[in-house]
Amino acid sequence: MSRPILVLGASGFIGRQVTAALAASGWATPIAAGRHLALGQSCLRLDITDEAALMRALDGVDDVVNCMAGAPAAMARGCKTLFRAAEASGRPMIVHLSSMAVYGDVAGPVDETAAINDSQGPYAAAKLVGERLAASYPRSVVLRLGCVYGPESKQWSGRIARLLRARRIGDLGAAGDGIANLVYVGDVAQAVLAALQTERAEGQAFNLAMAGAPTWNDYFLLFAKALGAVPITRLSERRIAFEARIMAPPLKIAEIAVRRLGLPADLVAPAIPPSLARLWRQEIILLPDKAEEILAMRWKPLAEGLAETADHI
Amino acid sequence: MIIDANDLPETEVLSADICIVGAGAVGIAMALDLIGSGLEVLLLEAGGFDREEDTQSLYVGQVADVAMHSPPDTYRERRLGGSTTTWGGRSMPFDPIDFEKRDYIAHSGWPISRADLDPFYPEANRISEAGRFAYTIETAFDHPRKAMIEGFASDNFTTNTLERFSCPTDFGRRYRHKLEAAANIRVLLHANVVHIALDSLGGRVDRLQIATLKGRRLTVRAGHVVLANGGLEATRLLLASRDVQDRGIGNQHDLVGRFYMCHVAGTIGAIQFNRSVWNGYDIADEGTYCRRRLALRPEAQRSHGVGNVIGRLHHPRITDPAHRNGVLSLLYLARMFIPYEYGKRLHGGVDVDFPTRLRHLRNVLTDIPDTVAFMLHLLRDRRLAERKFPSIVIRSKAHLYSLDFHAEQEPNPASRVSLTTETDALGLPRLMIDWRYTDRDIATVSTMLALLAGDIARSGVGRFDYAPDSVEQEMTRYGAYGGHHIGTTRMGATAREGVVDANCTVHGLANLHIAAASVFPTSSQANPTLTVIAMGLRLARHLKDRAARPLSARSPEGALS
Repeated sequence: MSRPILVLGASGFIGRQVTAALAASGWATPIAAGRHLALGQSCLRLDITDEAALMRALDGVDDVVNCMAGAPAAMARGCKTLFRAAEASGRPMIVHLSSMAVYGDVAGPVDETAAINDSQGPYAAAKLVGERLAASYPRSVVLRLGCVYGPESKQWSGRIARLLRARRIGDLGAAGDGIANLVYVGDVAQAVLAALQTERAEGQAFNLAMAGAPTWNDYFLLFAKALGAVPITRLSERRIAFEARIMAPPLKIAEIAVRRLGLPADLVAPAIPPSLARLWRQEIILLPDKAEEILAMRWKPLAEGLAETADHI
Repeated sequence: MIIDANDLPETEVLSADICIVGAGAVGIAMALDLIGSGLEVLLLEAGGFDREEDTQSLYVGQVADVAMHSPPDTYRERRLGGSTTTWGGRSMPFDPIDFEKRDYIAHSGWPISRADLDPFYPEANRISEAGRFAYTIETAFDHPRKAMIEGFASDNFTTNTLERFSCPTDFGRRYRHKLEAAANIRVLLHANVVHIALDSLGGRVDRLQIATLKGRRLTVRAGHVVLANGGLEATRLLLASRDVQDRGIGNQHDLVGRFYMCHVAGTIGAIQFNRSVWNGYDIADEGTYCRRRLALRPEAQRSHGVGNVIGRLHHPRITDPAHRNGVLSLLYLARMFIPYEYGKRLHGGVDVDFPTRLRHLRNVLTDIPDTVAFMLHLLRDRRLAERKFPSIVIRSKAHLYSLDFHAEQEPNPASRVSLTTETDALGLPRLMIDWRYTDRDIATVSTMLALLAGDIARSGVGRFDYAPDSVEQEMTRYGAYGGHHIGTTRMGATAREGVVDANCTVHGLANLHIAAASVFPTSSQANPTLTVIAMGLRLARHLKDRAARPLSARSPEGALS
């Protein structure tokens, strides 16, 4: 008997992969819901802040996977609506995708018992709202994602590839000593499936990041090799600081303008905002042991994941 | 955490599981390796963040022959990062033959082999930012590269081994953030060790006495002490700490300070190739510069009974304007802008007369396009680059080169460093350096040159002309190769053969260890930095293993004894 599972944010990069994995699972019938989806069979155009519509969508659904992304304020609003609606409609199980951003600016190994906070700004604050709601909701699993890479990943693959090819990043020295807590997008989908099927997972939070994650410098080198964008260049810390302080604001404005005008996003070179430059220095290691133990996660080897990503790009 | 010894209260006693003396290449590499180990590490640095002349002058000493050795306060930097603040970055491992007992090299043979260091070299490369631990052109590159000398076949030489270059990375600047952030590392600046105090039985280090130039006196008590302050300073400290062992620590058999080696190096002859050759750098995927050399095969070393040696294709001597090369003449004319350590072998401090200077100027003026292009290359790839183009490479349109050689020295007890009666500002006796070379050293270079000349002629790629009777003069023209301080606290299986044992622990002193090139019993063809970092990482592993032993296996003196 197939379980109907509502996937919110199904039009997004992770949502698409989760939906496909559920469809291929044999035991689940995903109902893809998102703002940008075309209507069709088992597809739902849904604005998650529309509580009435959400209530209708939740009707008859056993489980929800929340892959919503977007601007922080919208994300927080969406989460509030979701958990309120879920309380009122039979309390389906919710697998909620959160982020490592909730750990803030800490360094060193971090497991799921570490304190969570909003010190990393509005995005982290929005993720924290979701975490708090999930914690007070009786049936939830929280997945704290590292940097999700893979084919179609704009943030951690596409953007990085463009920066590498433009030689705007490479070997960053001390500015790239942070840990790239990478997780392959297929592994995220796999973890969602495991969370839905593992009773022990309920009420728990899990870090999702590959074991033995590389430094950002190593990630850039390995990815550049897969892309054929070698040799990489050593860039000074000053250069990255210049990118973050001087180059990023106009690039960000141009990016927003291009989006508003409906032009292709790759018209504008990607920015390296200060938050990104800070992340590349942050020596935080997401410990994946709990996901390995309870969700039986096995991580895709980085070389394989990068080869597939490079093929796609 | 990084603190300044001058900010600590007078008579402070500091304690740690491991005290590392010297925050240079080795000390910083070891500290990085010990981050998160659970062991409390105190890293003592004699200098501050920048060069300070009064601190630097603590290195001042004498040399027996000023023509044969540079002053002791050159090629060494007493500051955070140590001599990595000025190094050239050449990074390659020692060869397996270097560790072997060779009956044709007196006092050769290590109590360990290359295989003992192999597990630590990759991390040494990583910390040095010298790319992968891959030292042949075939293993370092995915795609075939063009041969160094097309058509050159030789039973005596290989042309596929590499030297790799660090950025060159200033370890202090590069890793300061990690030292500051690590919970179990304390770096103490301006902390000069002036005495190693043993317990009354002379079997352990009891404490280190620290002094600052501002008059602070501190004491350090540590489970283990590692001297990572360079070959010369480690030697100096052992010799100067003589209150319990009256000949100096570890010196019962008169080994400390003896067997002093650098390398013999020079530039000689003219190689006229009849074809284009590749003497430039190959750039590996991670961006490191790699360069091939002519290396004398181990079999040839054995059959001719000579030491390890390599050669590189080099530009003609810079001071003589007969090279008609605008770039070289410009480098000569601009010599006052080149630091002593680099200028020495570039122009040798030679002052030419006015007409010769005019000829240099003429070379520059008649070779304007090449000279301008070279200056732009220097500006872009060296001056402004984070990873610097390592050396001056001149492609000769005439396929004409000279040969640069870099050779192992035979260990020689008469080549030595000792203490003088003069003391520095902190009361420590200054060093006297009496560097010597042997007939074997001349034979190593002479044999290599003769074999190379023969092989170049035989394989029909050109000819190599040099004056065999000028070999000794050329290999000593600038004296010992600067900055390599090897042999003076040599490693040996027993106290009679060495100052330290196979683990770098001073014989008879369970908690005193040396991580400096002075522990190398022989000198190899290779520059020592990478190998001494690997040796330091091996020592760090050893100390961690000792700390991790179950309680029952520990001696009663403490967790780390």
